[in-house]
Amino acid sequence: MAQNPRIRIDPASGVSVVRQIADSLRVLLVEGQLVPGTALPSVRRLATELGVHFNTAAEAYRQMAAEGWLDLKHGRRAVVVPRVVPAVRNGAWTEDFRNRLRGMVAQMRSRGISAASIATELRAMAKVVKKS
Amino acid sequence: MRLVLCAVYIFIGALVFAIPNMTRRELLFAVPVPPDFRESGAGRNAISTFRATIAAAVLAGVCALLLSPARLLGATMVAVWIAIFLTGGISFYWQNRRLAPAAVQYTRPREAELTVAPEELPRFAWLAAGPFVILAAAARWLYLNWDRIPARFPTHWGPSGQPDHWVERTTKAVYGPLFFGAELCAWFMIMALAGWFGSRRSRSRSVMLGGMMAAEYLVGLLFALIAVQPLLGIPIWVIALAPMAILIPLVVVLINKMSESGTPLDPTPNECWKGAIIYYNPNDAALFVEKRDGMGYTLNFANSWSWVLLLGLALVIASAPFVVK
Repeated sequence: MAQNPRIRIDPASGVSVVRQIADSLRVLLVEGQLVPGTALPSVRRLATELGVHFNTAAEAYRQMAAEGWLDLKHGRRAVVVPRVVPAVRNGAWTEDFRNRLRGMVAQMRSRGISAASIATELRAMAKVVKKS
Repeated sequence: MRLVLCAVYIFIGALVFAIPNMTRRELLFAVPVPPDFRESGAGRNAISTFRATIAAAVLAGVCALLLSPARLLGATMVAVWIAIFLTGGISFYWQNRRLAPAAVQYTRPREAELTVAPEELPRFAWLAAGPFVILAAAARWLYLNWDRIPARFPTHWGPSGQPDHWVERTTKAVYGPLFFGAELCAWFMIMALAGWFGSRRSRSRSVMLGGMMAAEYLVGLLFALIAVQPLLGIPIWVIALAPMAILIPLVVVLINKMSESGTPLDPTPNECWKGAIIYYNPNDAALFVEKRDGMGYTLNFANSWSWVLLLGLALVIASAPFVVK
C-alpha cells in the first residue's frame, strides 16, 4: 500500500514553524505528491501531530490558500485545488533563485557538508525537477 | 485486619519504590537525562536516596500500624496513608530538583502524515463496554434476588474489619454503588477515548487506551463486588485486596508494553513541565502527552478540554452523596 505523504518540521531549526509547514506542503504540491482534490488533515490533527498551536497550522494552510494551492471553506477540510501557474518573464526570476540557492549552499558548507555531497544532491534534485 | 492493611501498605510502598524503573531510560525523576545517566554516580545516588526514604517511610508506617492501640487504629491508618504518599511525592520532587542541572533538552523533528483517513480505534476498544455489562448483570442479579438481601446490611467497616455503619434495604442503598460505579466507568471510558483522539499517533497510544480500559474494569468489578456484598457476605478483606489482583498485572504489563513499543521520547519542551509532573504548553495542540514521571500519558493543562475532563471527575465525585447511601 502506498504511503501517505508526510511533512516534517524541526522545532530546533530556527526557521518559523509556519514557514516550515508551508514549505513542506509546497514541496509535496510541486512534486505532485499532493494532487488536486486531495483533502488534507484537519488543523486540529495536523497541529496535534506536529506539537504546535492550532493557529500555527491554520496560518500555514491560509498561506498556501493565498498562494492558490488550497481551498479553505469554513467547516470543511482543506482541499488541494488546481492552480493556475502565474506567467513569469524569462530571466526575471533567475537572480533571486541563484541568490537563494547560493545562500543555502553556503549554509550547508558552513555546517561542514562537503561541496561534492551538495553537488550530488543538486544533480539528483535537478532530475526530479525535470520529471515534474 | 492489621496484617491485611500492612500488606496493602507494603504493596503501595513497593510500587513507589519501583518508580525509577517505571520510566524510560532517558528520564529519571521526570528529568530528561542521557540514557546512560542512571549508571553514573549522580544517577545511582538519586535512586538510592529516593528508595531509602520510601523504605524508611513504609517501615515506620507498618510499625505504627502494628503497635497502634486499637482505639487509634483508624487515625493511624489514615496518617500512614498520608505519610507514605507525602514522603513519595516530596522525595520524588527533591530528586527532580537535584537532577535538574543535569537535564538535557531532547529535540527531534516531528512528522505528520497527510491523511484524512478516520482514526480507527483498535479492535479491542469494544471491550470498554464490558464493565457496564458487569454492573448491569450485578443489578439484574440483585433485582432477581431482592428478597434474599438482608433488610439491614453494613456499608462501612472500621480498621479492625468490623462493620460500623448499616443501612436499610432500599433501592438507593442496593443499587447506589452500581450507579456510582457506572458513572466512574463512563468517566474512564471518556478519558480513554479523549486520550486516543487527543494525542499524537504512536504505538504507545494503544497501550494507554488498554491501560485506561483496564482501570475501567477495575472500577466496574470493585463496585459490582461492593453491590453484591450484602447478598453474598463477601469478606471485606477480599474486596479490599481484589483491586490488587488487577492492579499488579496491569502495572507489570503496562511497563513491559510501553518499553516494547520502542517509540522515541516525545520531545516536549522542558520548560513546559511544572513541578515535574504538570504539562502546560499553550503552543501544543495535544490534549494528552507522554508522562515524564512514569509510564503513560498525562493531560496538557493548557488545553481547555483537560479542565472539562477534570470537571467531569469532580462532578462524578460530588454526585456520590446523592447516589450512594
